[in-house]
Amino acid sequence: MSRGLVYGLKKFWSEIFSGDLLILFFSIVLAVTSISSVGFLGDRLKSSMQMQASSILGADLVLRSATEIDSKYLNLASSLDLKSAETATFLSMIITDEDNLLTSIKAVTPSYPLRGKLTVVNFDNSPIQHSGSPPQGSIWIEKKVSESLELNQSDNIIIGNKNFIVEAIIQDYPDRNSSFVGFYPVAIVNINDVDAMGVIQTGSRVVYRQLFSGTQKNLDRFVESLDTLPPNIRLQNAIDVGDNLGEDIDNSTTFFNLASLFTIIISVIAAMMAVRRYASRNLLHTSLMKVFGASKTFILGHQIMQLVLLIITASSFGLIFGYALQHLLISTLQGIINADLPPPSFRPVILGLITATFVVFATAAPYIKILSDTEPIRILRNDFTIKLSSNFIIYLVAFFSMFGFLGILFQDLKLILYIVITLVVVTFALYSMGRLLLYALSFMQFSNGTGWKLGLKNLVQRGNESILQVIIFGLSLLFLVVLAETRTDLVDSWSETLDEDTPNYFLFNIQEYNLKPISNYFEDQAQITPDFTPLIRGRLLSAKRPGSDVNFDNLMDREANLTWQNLLPVSNKLVAGKWWAEGDEVKEVSVDQEIAASMDLEIGDELTFSAGDKTFSVSVTSFREIEWQSFSPNFFFILSPAAGKELPNSYITSIKVKDSNKLMNNFVATFPTITSVNLEAIINQAKNSISSASLAVQYIFLLTLIAGVLALIASIYANKDQRTKEAAIMHAIGASRAMIFKSAASEFFILGILSATTAVIFSTLLSSVIFYQFLDLIYSPNILILGLSFLLAITFIFVAGVLSIRKSIYASPMITLRDS
Amino acid sequence: MAGLDLPTSGSVTLLGSDITKLDEDKRAQIRGKDVGFVFQSFHLMPRLTALDNVMLPLEISGDRYAMDKAQEALEQVGLSKRSKHYATQLSGGEKQRVAIARSIVNKPKILFADEPTGNLDIKSSGAITDLLFSLKELINTTLVLVTHDLSLAEKCEEVFELSEGQLL
Repeated sequence: MSRGLVYGLKKFWSEIFSGDLLILFFSIVLAVTSISSVGFLGDRLKSSMQMQASSILGADLVLRSATEIDSKYLNLASSLDLKSAETATFLSMIITDEDNLLTSIKAVTPSYPLRGKLTVVNFDNSPIQHSGSPPQGSIWIEKKVSESLELNQSDNIIIGNKNFIVEAIIQDYPDRNSSFVGFYPVAIVNINDVDAMGVIQTGSRVVYRQLFSGTQKNLDRFVESLDTLPPNIRLQNAIDVGDNLGEDIDNSTTFFNLASLFTIIISVIAAMMAVRRYASRNLLHTSLMKVFGASKTFILGHQIMQLVLLIITASSFGLIFGYALQHLLISTLQGIINADLPPPSFRPVILGLITATFVVFATAAPYIKILSDTEPIRILRNDFTIKLSSNFIIYLVAFFSMFGFLGILFQDLKLILYIVITLVVVTFALYSMGRLLLYALSFMQFSNGTGWKLGLKNLVQRGNESILQVIIFGLSLLFLVVLAETRTDLVDSWSETLDEDTPNYFLFNIQEYNLKPISNYFEDQAQITPDFTPLIRGRLLSAKRPGSDVNFDNLMDREANLTWQNLLPVSNKLVAGKWWAEGDEVKEVSVDQEIAASMDLEIGDELTFSAGDKTFSVSVTSFREIEWQSFSPNFFFILSPAAGKELPNSYITSIKVKDSNKLMNNFVATFPTITSVNLEAIINQAKNSISSASLAVQYIFLLTLIAGVLALIASIYANKDQRTKEAAIMHAIGASRAMIFKSAASEFFILGILSATTAVIFSTLLSSVIFYQFLDLIYSPNILILGLSFLLAITFIFVAGVLSIRKSIYASPMITLRDS
Repeated sequence: MAGLDLPTSGSVTLLGSDITKLDEDKRAQIRGKDVGFVFQSFHLMPRLTALDNVMLPLEISGDRYAMDKAQEALEQVGLSKRSKHYATQLSGGEKQRVAIARSIVNKPKILFADEPTGNLDIKSSGAITDLLFSLKELINTTLVLVTHDLSLAEKCEEVFELSEGQLL
């Protein structure tokens, strides 16, 4: 075999440049580019999300409770080589001589934060070196505090019984959303000052947190030792937070994976056709080598070396392109990712190489066997045809091992299973349609040989070859059409979440007596009628399951906004249970499905809330899915009117105002007690994210499109030699160029129509499965995309087909026949 | 006879070995070492140069001096100036010369030629016949010709006639 390997090594470049291996080469480059770009991207995004998640927590792991947490966890952590810190966060008034301000006070130990960055500066913005917490008696404040209270550096303020000196301005801190979300400005003090302030008393709302960081192994050991955590302590870890962060770009990564999978499948189709042509053209070469003394192992060595070199060179190109494409995607997605990404790992490189190996050996294995088994007598018989039927088992094994590999690669066996089923069904449909067509055509009279009739006759005569071509065209088109539809719908669904009417202002703290004047203001000034939603501050006290003594350990441990509604809000979808009928007198509640799942709630459970001085119980009658991106007021708990009408409430509304500055400035002046929040910055950020994600999706789609075009070209070129020879013979026996052209044109036209029709029909089936199962979108066939794909596919097959034999139409038949 | 195929019955002894008792790889070994072939339709590799085509049998046997020997063989058939040309750039007569150079490059003990002039015009045909016979003398080999051309057959020392599968 070693001589065969050396021979393969010597002949590799001349084989590549001769063109026979070129399509196979490009197929591998495309498959590797696709898998590695998505791999590199996913890899970096995953690390980045974990970094962001850790930074949001300020640690890798957090214990959180409304009561003081036992110090034994800190001791346990230190015995496991973990770093730790503590924080206690509560609301309190900062008092100056002239004014006061309700502020979120974060008391921290010097080691805070363990992850992320705490930046504090002097009042003149010059940086301050610090150890993580202010010294005792000093306070760091956000700019909002200094502006509201007109404070300067070194001014005195009072919190409870303790005096503080203002030392610095907080520019940035990591665990921003860890306690009282939103509207209160923040101040940081040393945790040893908490007792002296004397503001924490029984019943005070305080969030205590213990922060931990260290190696994943030690963190895992720490979590294992925590299995008996008391119910009042919640464990938060960076990976869970990372999952939530990931939802924003979840659908785009699903699309990237899908596109990458389709690119590999289409590349495999192209590779199959390329290998087939390569093998049939190499049969003469191998037979000759056998005549001149080459053994079976020599041929095997020669073929394997060629394919190994092909894998190495094509993968290298693929990996370089993949890395470059990933860079392009990252820079496109910068708006969404918004962080310095860590470098990718080596994993995508390995994946790329394995993919290339599978693409090559799954498609080439049967042919390597044919070539090494070839008999030298073929030379004397001039017989260089390839029969695949005897190697059907090898093909079957290659096919299933390929999909097994894809299943492992994409870690989604369900998706791969759907694809395999679709492939089998569509192949069968294409085969049946091809057979049916050939059967119908065989009854036609071809005696008066016009060009197009000759083409149809050729189709019938080519028999299985024509059917194979219909199958290859059809399958390549199927995946392209499905991806084109997915791409368009995904981008549309993103854009729809932020249409023209997306509200840009939230108004809250609205009292009953404000409703009429506010409505009048907006109707007069901007012809808008605001829709007010009742807002009740409540707290979930307990839950019980009638007829069972189940304990609810994971109840929501904070105040929540409740509302009552007659009708299900537009941005909500009922996923379980029933919405109440109008006039229903039963006290009911509808719960967000995710919150319900986190608290282990079931329909029929009874929840007890407190709101103001009232305590009331309601029965859970439905779960809802909330579209949070709608920018409308959304609630975890919606009460029935019977339950909520009598409770103390304010109102909230969201409105869309154009030319908002003057209108809203006047509004604030007219209604000083109403809080207004401008959402424009958030909306713009979301819009940027959507356009970035859409652009990234286009890039990835382009890669699949190139693979599709390559597969079509490979398929057309698969029997180019035969067509060229036939054209030359027809020329030689007197057929005009126009006749040969019409013959080829009608053949490709029929092939195009048949495969495009089947592909378009079956694409609707595969698309609906993918939309429903993997993207959580509702599928309705996009007639424009389907129609365009149909026409473009027929045109492409027709034009590329005719172009592929143009040389033989115009060349001298003598030269063509002599060379063939 | 050349060991490219096996008889349905009987045996064939080639250069002292009963090739019907050998497997394909063993037969290939004999062909590579001691047998040369010339075909009616030349069977040159279109994507290889004349020199590469001639080198093919030596490369298979791993001969370190393949290039020098191939160059020498091309000189012997009078085509040393066309060694860098691809097979598709050669005329019919030139292609057959390259094929002959390829068949003698391993100095075979026996040279099989299957209708070597069947695809050539009269002028080229005469030249190829002369070349084959002169090379036979030069490398001191046995030439086995299969032909329908009686004038070519007359040049051979021994003639066997086959008709409808029967040796006459």
